[in-house]
Amino acid sequence: MVLSKNKNLKICLAASAGGHLTELLKLADSWQQYEVFYVSTANMVAKKLNRYGPTHVVGECNREHLLRVFLVLFRCVRVIIHERPNVIISTGAAVGCIMCFLGKLLGAKVVWVDSITNVEWISLSGRMVRHIADLFLVQWPELAEQYSNVEYSGAAI
Amino acid sequence: MIFLTVGTQFPFDRFVRAVDNIFDQGLIDEEIFAQIGETTYKPHNFESVASLDKNLFDKRLKEASSVISHAGIGTITMALSNNKPLLVMPRLKKYGEVVNNHQAAIAKRFSELGHLLIVYDVKDLPNGIRKLKDFIPRERKASPDAIADRIRRFLDSLQD
Repeated sequence: MVLSKNKNLKICLAASAGGHLTELLKLADSWQQYEVFYVSTANMVAKKLNRYGPTHVVGECNREHLLRVFLVLFRCVRVIIHERPNVIISTGAAVGCIMCFLGKLLGAKVVWVDSITNVEWISLSGRMVRHIADLFLVQWPELAEQYSNVEYSGAAI
Repeated sequence: MIFLTVGTQFPFDRFVRAVDNIFDQGLIDEEIFAQIGETTYKPHNFESVASLDKNLFDKRLKEASSVISHAGIGTITMALSNNKPLLVMPRLKKYGEVVNNHQAAIAKRFSELGHLLIVYDVKDLPNGIRKLKDFIPRERKASPDAIADRIRRFLDSLQD
């Protein structure tokens, strides 16, 4: 039975509120058969996401506010220990990056879809995750030629 | 009605004030409805609200003849999928309006592809708004299904 087999995977879907999340949700067909949970950055989107699956809001952070990074990191650690996903799928940004690295530490596979807003270079988060990603997709064909281990299969938007 | 939106995450005073000024100069002959988020400047020429829930946002968008906005990917996506003529002015890092200039990069590429109009500075806004009247956006053929399919194949491969 295909369905029961698919239940073997638990997938973490991680994206910052806003464009990153918009892009991620466009790809929902890929995880329909699996158990999923969401990690995002703002309470505003939690209401919507809760309809699709359990949702953890860990807050927003970026490189410029190190204290916030540690707070968000701490929350992400709690989520990953609690949920124990087998796969992380993320469209970025910082929180997605953190979830990918934490997931990898616990043996999860990592799927990164770099945001379509990265036209000339892949994102900073993407450049870090590229080294640990099991599947790394970009949304402009030129970028796939520019980097190794990077694939283009289409644009979400 | 022109729908003006700047998202809800950061203010965009430079943009809202400029559109209000253009209205003062009599260069806009259409009603505007604005969603201005955290913007502190309050326009006096048109109605504005801080935020709209999704249904109301969709309703305003569908009613609009055209859209003028920041270059948020969410707004761009919705305008394109509703086939609305769209003029964007990217938020810029140098004014503290955004943490990086990705907005400008994606909007520039989309304007090159004919999907939208772009201005980078308030002084070009009147001209942009004038052009918007006759602008017919090129339809964007996105392929989220192709990406979803690639990810699905990857997930399937993990089961073997």
